[in-house]
Amino acid sequence: MASAGSTNSRRVIPGFGISIGFTIVYLGLIVLIPLAGLVLKSAGLGWSELYRSATDLRTVNAIWLSVWTAFIAAVINVPFGVLVAWVMVRYRFPGRRILDAAVDLPFALPTAVAGIALTALYAPNGWVGAYLEEWGIKAAYTPLGIVIALTFIGLPFVVRTVQPLMEDIDKEVEEAAATLGAGRFQTVRRVILPAILPAVITGFALAFARAIGEYGSVVFIAGNIPYVSEIAPLLFIIRLEEYNYAGATTVATLMLMISFTLLISINWIQAMTRRRFGNG
Amino acid sequence: MANLFGRVPIGLRSAVNEGAFTRLTLILIAVVFLALFLIMPLILVFVEALRQGAGAYFEALKDPDALSAMRLTLTVAVIAVPFNIVFGLAASWAIAKFDFRGKNLLISLIDLPFSVSPVISGLVWVLLFGSHSVLSPWLQAHDIQILFALPGLVLATMFVTFPFVARELIPLMQEQGTTDEEAALSLGASGLQTFWHVTLPNVRWALVYGVLLCTARAIGEFGAVSVVSGHIRGQTNTMPLHVEILYNEYSFVGAFAVASVLALLALVTLGIKAVLEWRYGNQLASGHRR
Amino acid sequence: MQISIRNITKQFDRFPALGGVSLEIGSGELVALLGPSGSGKTTLLRSIAGLEHPSSGQILFDGEDVSNLSVGERRIGFAFQSYALFRHMTVLNNVGFGLKVRPRKTRPSRAEIRERALELLDLVQLGGLENRFPSQLSGGQRQRVALARALAIEPRVLLLDEPFGALDAKVRKELRRWLRQLHDRLGLTTIFVTHDQEEALELADRVVVMNKGEIEQAGPPVEVYDDPATAFVSEFLGTVNTFQTTLSDGIAEVLGTDFPVADADIGEGPQRRHGPAIAYVRTHEIELLSRERAEGIPAIVRAVFPFGGSVRVELAVEGYDTPIQAEVPRAFFEAGEVRVNSGLFVRATNARVFPQYN
Repeated sequence: MASAGSTNSRRVIPGFGISIGFTIVYLGLIVLIPLAGLVLKSAGLGWSELYRSATDLRTVNAIWLSVWTAFIAAVINVPFGVLVAWVMVRYRFPGRRILDAAVDLPFALPTAVAGIALTALYAPNGWVGAYLEEWGIKAAYTPLGIVIALTFIGLPFVVRTVQPLMEDIDKEVEEAAATLGAGRFQTVRRVILPAILPAVITGFALAFARAIGEYGSVVFIAGNIPYVSEIAPLLFIIRLEEYNYAGATTVATLMLMISFTLLISINWIQAMTRRRFGNG
Repeated sequence: MANLFGRVPIGLRSAVNEGAFTRLTLILIAVVFLALFLIMPLILVFVEALRQGAGAYFEALKDPDALSAMRLTLTVAVIAVPFNIVFGLAASWAIAKFDFRGKNLLISLIDLPFSVSPVISGLVWVLLFGSHSVLSPWLQAHDIQILFALPGLVLATMFVTFPFVARELIPLMQEQGTTDEEAALSLGASGLQTFWHVTLPNVRWALVYGVLLCTARAIGEFGAVSVVSGHIRGQTNTMPLHVEILYNEYSFVGAFAVASVLALLALVTLGIKAVLEWRYGNQLASGHRR
Repeated sequence: MQISIRNITKQFDRFPALGGVSLEIGSGELVALLGPSGSGKTTLLRSIAGLEHPSSGQILFDGEDVSNLSVGERRIGFAFQSYALFRHMTVLNNVGFGLKVRPRKTRPSRAEIRERALELLDLVQLGGLENRFPSQLSGGQRQRVALARALAIEPRVLLLDEPFGALDAKVRKELRRWLRQLHDRLGLTTIFVTHDQEEALELADRVVVMNKGEIEQAGPPVEVYDDPATAFVSEFLGTVNTFQTTLSDGIAEVLGTDFPVADADIGEGPQRRHGPAIAYVRTHEIELLSRERAEGIPAIVRAVFPFGGSVRVELAVEGYDTPIQAEVPRAFFEAGEVRVNSGLFVRATNARVFPQYN
């Protein structure tokens, strides 16, 4: 990359060398070298060791728990996220701006704070937990609690991905559907939802990816019982505290592989959408 | 835009609006959902913090360990954020103002820390500087403590907050192109003058926005610093870690008191963010315009 | 289908968009709504479609009041300025959309919908492009997809909002001719909105000139062009020179020649037969005379634009502040009479004079 600077020898604007130089050095030191260390470490373990730790029942359970709760939370966030985006974009009502700003709360609120607040809220003696208790539902310290925390964390990803696209929908397109005899419900189902579908999928994938690795907001509410309510990031911390670097690295590698797969599919979806529907 | 109480004749809905009943129902569901999932936890933080009165609340905040956690958190943010600001400016300048091979790869790499779980962001430093690493003997020989000390906390925070400033500036500077800079240079300005008087004013609100998000995350980060901190009370505990320790000791008022300070900071962040979006939305990257 | 518009008014937040518009449109007619932006032409079109609801007045389709029918119930074909194609659907699905969303009882089978859509694509000369997405089409092709989509529901009337607005000049002319042929073939009542007078005059059976939410004049193109009913129409159509003049007993002098006030009805009132007036003279109604004839008013040629069948000449005329634009036959120019800075005489062969009310 640095050599690319010299191929285009005469530049009008100065400062390419120093800015790209700093960028690459800093990126290397803070992100790439540390991550490369992780990759080297897991490669150093060798396949058999990796396989042995990865098939460890507790690891399998923890990763599976993280994946399925993250998936459910992201699924919940799809209809609610789309609904919230729709209401924010289409309707005017008192307090809308405050609610709109509040959607970013999970981004802004430190995860540990969210974690203890959600736990207190859904604990058997909490404001919501007490009601659920009456119905015989245990939320805190069960996988349900994990799903709740991950839903909290993932909501803004769906809303903020869908919102701009929804704002861009041309009013004339909806009118066209109406002139062709489509009812409002048909217009929403056949015209509006397909138009925002790529954003919905992207938002879903972002929320899903974030939820798999989420730690702070989940660890308090999860219960942390091995094989039952122990999430992958927590097991990873436990392995680390046991100085079991091999075990920790295995869990980390598996988590990284899952989130990179999701990242690549997000990029693929976006590229596909651009190619097919154009940018306009 | 539809008006909730739009003046459309009865029985004649506008072609692109829902009926008043549908509208109200949808708004109600959204409001209840947001209130239950977002607002209620926030309120609860303050209620729990003040459960035993204002006296106990301020007592908890004045606790020496709490104060030292606040100091440490600020120290970490004050060191980590400026580095990421300089990086953000350098990266966006290089990416937006020049063409070079591998640009898209570089942009993807800058976003990389976002897709890494916070706890892994901590692990990478443990692997690099921990007792099993190749650097360990050298560090010990020179008596340099990185893990379980301030440098480790700063490095983990830098990693986690790495993309924030850059990803606000890059799209905006790409939209703005290079014509302003070329005009300034053609008028005889030096490179530095051009950057200071032309480029920086053009992106100032986006920069503020990025720094805001970066700082908020630096203060609130939990997973990554948890791995490298060592949890030594009064020494390597940042505010979020202190919240965890107090909570696990069933010192709820203390935990929620410190948490309420963090929640207040989050509210201030959201407030400034909203003002930036409404007031200066046209000067932010297109994704944040309202 | 026949359309009656009866005293339609439309009030937007504060300003009136339509102020009491009435219009009869005959079956199979091709009508242009012509006017500057903000004249209310699009609001009128959208009111006919049912996309806007007038504040008062009635709209009748074949004598039946449709004012209370929703846009979907009116069975109109509407082509939007932006085309408003569904980006995520293929051309075929775009065209078939109106049939697919019908209630189950009247919905044709999948195969029938496909067949019908393919027929329509052939009609608009887009056969073979049915599997493309809108983003893969040119502007002219998109416009034709939009038309085919509107025709698919067998509309009773075709409404087009600035149908050629977003196209470049060449495609625009081609598509204009093609639309006329299509209209003649289908015999569908068609109303289109345009701000381009050439488009309106060349394409329509009847031109409705609108200004400030009201109809200024409605009539066949030749009538509207040759016999403008109001000052606004005179100024809006063609390229005109504007003269400030004075009426005296219904007569005004323009470039040395006397002309009667344009509209006999307006001329009745005494205050309108005298006083300030405005006169409009089209560029081709300015006659240039060589020095030997010495009739009319002396003028000096300031600029000549000899491009095309007629030559445009800019003249400075004694006693007139603004230069006068004239259009003369090319032969006259080639005779060598018209050169920059040469002296000539000018005369108006025709002028439309309107009393000024303010």
